[in-house]
Amino acid sequence: MTERDATMAGAVASQATALRDPYRIHWRLTALVVAVTAVALLTLPPLVVFTLTEVMIFALFASGLNLLLSYSGIVSFGHALYFGIAAYGMAIAIARFGWPMWLGILLGPFTSALFALVFGFLCVQLTAIYAAMLTLACAEVVYAVVFQWFDFTGGDSGISGYVPSMLGLSPGVYGVVVLGVVTAGMLFLWRVVHSPLGLTIRAVGQNPARAAAIGHGRKRVQLIAFVLSGFVCGIAGTLFGVFQGNVFPDYVGVLITVDGLVMVLLGGLYSFAAGIYGALLYKVLDNLISHYFQYWQLVIGLILMAVILLSPSGISGMVQRLLSLGRGGRDG
Amino acid sequence: MAERTGEPLMSVRGLRKAFGRFLALSGVDLDVWPGEVRAIIGPNGAGKTTLINVLGGQLAGDTGDVKLRGRRLNGYYPHQMAALGVGRTFQISSTFRRMTVYENMLTAHNSASRHWFSLSARRLRAMRDAVMADLERIELSHLADQPVEDISHGDRKRLEFGMVLATQPQLLLLDEPTAGMGLHERHDLIDLVLREVRQRSLTLIFVEHDIDVVFKAADTITVMALGRVFAEGLPAEIAANADVQEIYLGGR
Repeated sequence: MTERDATMAGAVASQATALRDPYRIHWRLTALVVAVTAVALLTLPPLVVFTLTEVMIFALFASGLNLLLSYSGIVSFGHALYFGIAAYGMAIAIARFGWPMWLGILLGPFTSALFALVFGFLCVQLTAIYAAMLTLACAEVVYAVVFQWFDFTGGDSGISGYVPSMLGLSPGVYGVVVLGVVTAGMLFLWRVVHSPLGLTIRAVGQNPARAAAIGHGRKRVQLIAFVLSGFVCGIAGTLFGVFQGNVFPDYVGVLITVDGLVMVLLGGLYSFAAGIYGALLYKVLDNLISHYFQYWQLVIGLILMAVILLSPSGISGMVQRLLSLGRGGRDG
Repeated sequence: MAERTGEPLMSVRGLRKAFGRFLALSGVDLDVWPGEVRAIIGPNGAGKTTLINVLGGQLAGDTGDVKLRGRRLNGYYPHQMAALGVGRTFQISSTFRRMTVYENMLTAHNSASRHWFSLSARRLRAMRDAVMADLERIELSHLADQPVEDISHGDRKRLEFGMVLATQPQLLLLDEPTAGMGLHERHDLIDLVLREVRQRSLTLIFVEHDIDVVFKAADTITVMALGRVFAEGLPAEIAANADVQEIYLGGR
């Protein structure tokens, strides 16, 4: 399918959505997906439940990253920082400072937001590839500190035992908890993207010069997006830390950053659902193929190449096209 | 033409701007009075776009003063200029490409509303009628749901102008508003610009290469050459100026 077709399909879809209020939350669709997922979590065997839980956590992480990539015009090459540092914030508060468990868990996402505020402030001073390189540098600095400050962060052996894995719940029940938090996080992101603030963020991301000429300063808007993104990724990181019951330097490492980027690209840049589609495909392939085939990342690489070459708008682009075909396109 | 009473709306004194060793503006003086339609013409490299960019805050001048209603604006950023009522369009049309025509106009309204950080979708919904009315005014409402990428160059220029209007400026800076447009479109757009400028009693500074458009629209013409103001006057005076004819009009 050509790019022209994609644009046509997009035009048809947008015409349809403009009539149906593009800002509304799709409550019925949300309820359906949540209900089906909840039933799956409570009935399927633990191995599947673990995969699903991971999918949900990474869907939220990738969606938080997607707020930057698709909308704000910032490319972050160091977003695992805001994922992992939340788990560290939680673990350190509980294990080193004796905070009550619940307070530590709540602290997690705010740790990320604070780091995002500081590093984001630095990164938005630059643009394009220079900003992207700075996000990478920030993440590498934090990784090095976390890895080497043995007394405080536990170094390469991390911190464990600060919270019972999955809060001591059964995998299914913890999965439902994750489902609830992730759904809330996704609704929050939807609210952000489809609000005056979201429109401002998109405007600045698409054309900073035009946005400035109609009154939007780029830096402050991008910093807001950065902090919101960091906060959401921090929620995902906290859920992951509780899921595992431990935290390691890898949580802030470059591999998780790349996972997030690949998920967004697979899912489809410039689409809200990119993180969900991307995480689902990536993590399912990871868990399925890696059991049978040592070089599963080779498979992921090939799939990513195929998606980028055949459907630059990723899985969401394909879904959009299928949906608009189903509605009987108006392009005759 | 508007009466030249009181102080100029925008006043420029001794403005210089260099890019490396190239002196783009070498001491520009300019006064534009409220309600005036001022054309800036001149050969390529005269510094017209650089001047507009300094006035709009896209560039900072090296030395000299830019004043709006007597207030010094040296080093102000574009979004600060916009907040003071300076609206501009760019030589190469500048819109939000991955949005629809409707969303582009909505963005302008959103910016003007001063609630750009709100999380309430209701605020966006509430702007719908005003946005559609503005699209109607620039005759683009039939394209509301089209992605900007798919509309014509002329329509995009028209949209850009409409977006700037929606931010409620008092001073408009238009850098070649009709560049790259067909003859017909060109006059349609300039008619639209003049109509809106007069209706809202705005002040307009525009750079233009099309001499027909310039003489049709301008109250006053400023001729630039080599980074400074070479001549200034009523269209009839400029047309009769032998030096101007030599450097620019080619003996017209």
